[in-house]
Order: sequence, then C-alpha cells, then structure tokens
Amino acid sequence: MYGTQSKIDHALEYQAQIAILRPSIHSRRANLTVKFQDLYGFTVEGNVDDVNVLNEVREKVRERNRLWWALEASKGANWYLHCSMGEGSTSSSLKSSLKLSVLTNAITLKKLIRQGIPPVLRPKVWFSLSGAAKKKSTVPESYYDDLTKATEGKVTAATRQIDQDLTRTFPGHPWLDTPEGHAALRRILVGYSFRDSDVGYCQGLNYVAALLLLVMKTEEDVFWMLAVLLENVLVNDCYTNNLSGCHVEQRVFKDLLAKKCPRIASHLDSMGFDVSLVATEWFLCLFSKSLPSETTLRVWDVLFYEGAKVIFNVALAIFKMKEDELLLTRHVGEVINILQITTHHLFDPDDLLTVAFETIGSMTSNTISKQRKKQEPEVMKELDERFRRLNSLKI
Amino acid sequence: MATIGHNNINAKLVLLGDMGAGKSSIVLRFVKGQFLEFQESTIGAAFFSQTLAVNDATVKFEIWDTAGQERYHSLAPMYYRGAAAAIIVYDITNEDSFARAKKWVLELQKQGNPNMVVALAGNKADLEDKRKVTAEEARAYAEENNLFFMETSAKTASNVNDMFCEIAKRLPRAQPAPNPAGMVLVDRPSEGSRAAASCCS
Repeated sequence: MYGTQSKIDHALEYQAQIAILRPSIHSRRANLTVKFQDLYGFTVEGNVDDVNVLNEVREKVRERNRLWWALEASKGANWYLHCSMGEGSTSSSLKSSLKLSVLTNAITLKKLIRQGIPPVLRPKVWFSLSGAAKKKSTVPESYYDDLTKATEGKVTAATRQIDQDLTRTFPGHPWLDTPEGHAALRRILVGYSFRDSDVGYCQGLNYVAALLLLVMKTEEDVFWMLAVLLENVLVNDCYTNNLSGCHVEQRVFKDLLAKKCPRIASHLDSMGFDVSLVATEWFLCLFSKSLPSETTLRVWDVLFYEGAKVIFNVALAIFKMKEDELLLTRHVGEVINILQITTHHLFDPDDLLTVAFETIGSMTSNTISKQRKKQEPEVMKELDERFRRLNSLKI
Repeated sequence: MATIGHNNINAKLVLLGDMGAGKSSIVLRFVKGQFLEFQESTIGAAFFSQTLAVNDATVKFEIWDTAGQERYHSLAPMYYRGAAAAIIVYDITNEDSFARAKKWVLELQKQGNPNMVVALAGNKADLEDKRKVTAEEARAYAEENNLFFMETSAKTASNVNDMFCEIAKRLPRAQPAPNPAGMVLVDRPSEGSRAAASCCS
C-alpha cells in the first residue's frame, strides 16, 4: 500500500537539503548552476538565485500556513468547506445575513486560494472544493477497491500503453520512480481507463496523476481528483480519441492571445509561429511538465476552485511576462527558448499568478464557454475531414 | 522548407512514429550525445536544434520531436507542415510500430511537402535477439517508397549521426526558399551546447 508517512519524511529531507545549499558569496560570483531537490522531491537545475527564491517561497508557505490556521480559529474549523462559489447561488445568498456571511467567506476564500493553499491543507481543500468528495459520495464506499480488484490482471490497449509509460513518468523522482510509486500510478490510470473507456489512457494523464499522488493523502483520493478533473473541471473530450476538446481549447487560446496580447500575437503570427506548438503540452499536462512543482500546484489550487478558465489566464501570463523579449525574436527557436527558460525558472508562483490574474484581467467562465461553442463546429469539421482523408489511404 | 544563404541551410525536420519507438532518444543522442534508459514520454512535441557541417554547407536542423500515441496524430500536421525532412521511426522489436510507420509514410506522401526528404529508421537495432522486423523487409519497403532506410540504435549511437548527415546531404540545395507555410527561418551562427558536428563523408 501507498505510504503517506514516508512521503512526508522525504519532504522534510528535501527541505533540509535546500538549506544546506544556501549559497556563499563565492558561488554567487561564479554564477554556478546547481542541482537541488524542490519541496516535492523533483531535481531541478538552477543558479544560486533560484535557490534563494525557493527558500523565500518556503518562508511564504509558512506564512500562509499561519494565516489559514488563524482563519480556522476565527471562522470555525473547516469553514472553507462550506463556501459555495456556484454562480447561480450568489443572488439567493444575499437574501439573509447568514447567507451573506457565506458570500463574504466565499470572497475571502477566492482571494486566499489565489494566494495559495498551504501544502498540508491541499489534500483536504482540493478534495472538497473541486467536487471530488461529492463525486465519491455518490457511489458505494468500496468503489475504488472493487474497481482495482476487478481490473487487476486485465490487459487492454490502454494498460499496455500505461505500462510503457510508468517508468517514463518523471523518471528519477525518489518516490514516483520506485516500484511502489509505479504500482500506485498504475492502479489509478488503469482504474480510470476502465471507468471511462472513451478516454481510456491518454499520454499526459500520467504526469497529472503522478503529481496528484505527491499531493493527496491516499491513492483513492487521487483517483477521484482525476475523475472530477476530466469529468467536471476541464472541457469535455480533452483526452479522448482525437483530442477534440484540446483542439477547441487551442483555438480559444489563440483568440484570447490576440485579444489580450495583440502585439505578441501579431508578431508571432507574422513569423508563422503557431502558439499551439508550445501551448498544447501546457493544456494537456496542466503545466506539470513545464513549471516547477510548487508553481504548478499553485495553478492547480485556483484551477480546482475557479475552473478551466484558469489555464488560459496562466498560459496568457507566460507570454505576457516576456512580451518585450518575444517582440524581438525573429526565429521559431528563439521563441521556444524564451518560453522554456521562463517556465522552468518560475520558482516564485506569485510572479506568475499576479500577471495571470491582475495584468491579464478577469475572464468569466461564461465568456470562455461562448468562445468554445463558436470554435467547436470548425474543429469537428476539420478533424472529420482529416479522418476521412486518412481512411482513404490504403497500404 | 530548407532555406539557403551563404551555404547555410536551415531545415525543419520532424520525427514521427509509434509511442516508445525511440524518437526522443534518437534526438537526444543526436543533439546532446546522451542516452537515457527511461526517457520521459513526450506530450505534444519538443523542439531542438542542432547544426551539422556537410561538404559544402552548414545545415541547421530545427527538430520537432512529436508525441507517439495514436490520438496525438491529429496534432501532427502542425509539426510536419513546411518540414524539409522527416524521420519516421519504428522499433525493430515491434511489428505494430512498423505498420504504424507505413501509415506515416502514406500520410506524408499525401499531405506533406513533395520535396520532403523522408528517412525510415528501424530503431533499437541493439536488441537483435528480440527482433521482429527484418532489415530486408524494411529495406524493400523503403526502396519501393523512395525513402532512405537505416537501422539505428539511440542506445549505442549506431547510425544516428549518419542518418542526420545523410538527410543533410539530400536536402535540396539550389532552389530559393518559397516558404509557403510562412515559417521564417533565418541564418544564425550555430549555437547550443554542442558545436557544429562535422559530417561523415
């Protein structure tokens, strides 16, 4: 079974290692690149400034911890679990002072979540606010155990692909890349492939589930987080058959980039650079392959509470942060280099999230839904034509 | 498309093939001279560049290493559009991956740039005892379809550089750059972690 305690011990160990790497003036001068492990055990490469930033982030995490506990004391235990952000409930909430306090809490909570959920509270807060708890409560208690038992030893196209990817998911991670880590990841992915045969297994989910495994307390909770993500949080068909949902999101993203960052959009367009070349991975892996772990999880904090529109805010922010540099590029490789270096070094989540939510400005889920509806027919037509063309090719 | 200037050629190259065939490993071997037993699975695609010196020119490859899972197929046109060269990779220990490679060949013949240099790479050639696809069969298929064929091993480095060299030599030289897809490729001095590798003659 999957050991929570040993994971926590690991986390403490990594923190100790970071402290040892506190840079001396000497190494700063040399601008050395060092390898170190972050809060979740990932080996990252960076210079001494990055190590400093990571230390500052750890300090901020402690502050957040204190803040959330103080609120717990003043508003009552688990107060955040009773905040409903449902858009329809807002007006009725205003009808009584009791409901007004719920609304106030909801506003406080939205702000708090954008500032980050403390890692120790993430499992509980995510599970509840994302709707995973509710989803789980609709089926018998033994659902996950029954599912894993029933699917044990079954071989399908999906299980073969999952087996191929287990050792290729964050290789070298001290827990994920162990027999125990592989087994847990396998049960979740195989279980899900049987729950939804339209999705089966889609590459990309391996990274998402793996990172969830490092956050959630139990393997079963990871399964439900994955379920709520695919079935409720994200747009439909992101991971099915021909990734049609993902194609729709990419088109919406291009429109939003033209609207929110018109100079970048027209510059890249004139170079013939299609932003989907880089953004596809961001959307399918939910940034887990590009951003440092705590930064990714800060994005997920908001994703699970506010919904899939958050991915657009963050993707736009990555471009926006590097606007000046991007406008000087003349070449595809340069654009990709800038974006890669930027994402890999975003150790301070606040740098990214401030741009994502303040500079980019708000976009309602409603607006995004309308944009998706507009793009869907065109995407389906294109995929359909392509499918027919390919089918007409005979070996 | 390959573009030319002062004997410098920029060429967009795409790798296609089944998941786990070794596309990323071939690129990693070529670009960094490394091999990882467990290579992270590629999502969407990854970009690399590497420069090669051939007899009369310097070729800078701009490489798109794509994801292999079948459903990612729908993203592929974005990566092969405007490509001057393609390497279609299969795993010699896996017959399905060879069938998949043939589908890619067909697709490129129908949809790709007609002057595209297409290479067929039978990877994992070091795993002779697990071989399922014979070199003869693959060579015959390659000849029929006007591809050039090599068996490679990203693990031992066998034929990997040679394959890129061969592609570099076959790239069309004389024509000006029509650039129909609008991909702007400009000449730049070679950069990156490895200096321009010299090509075998």
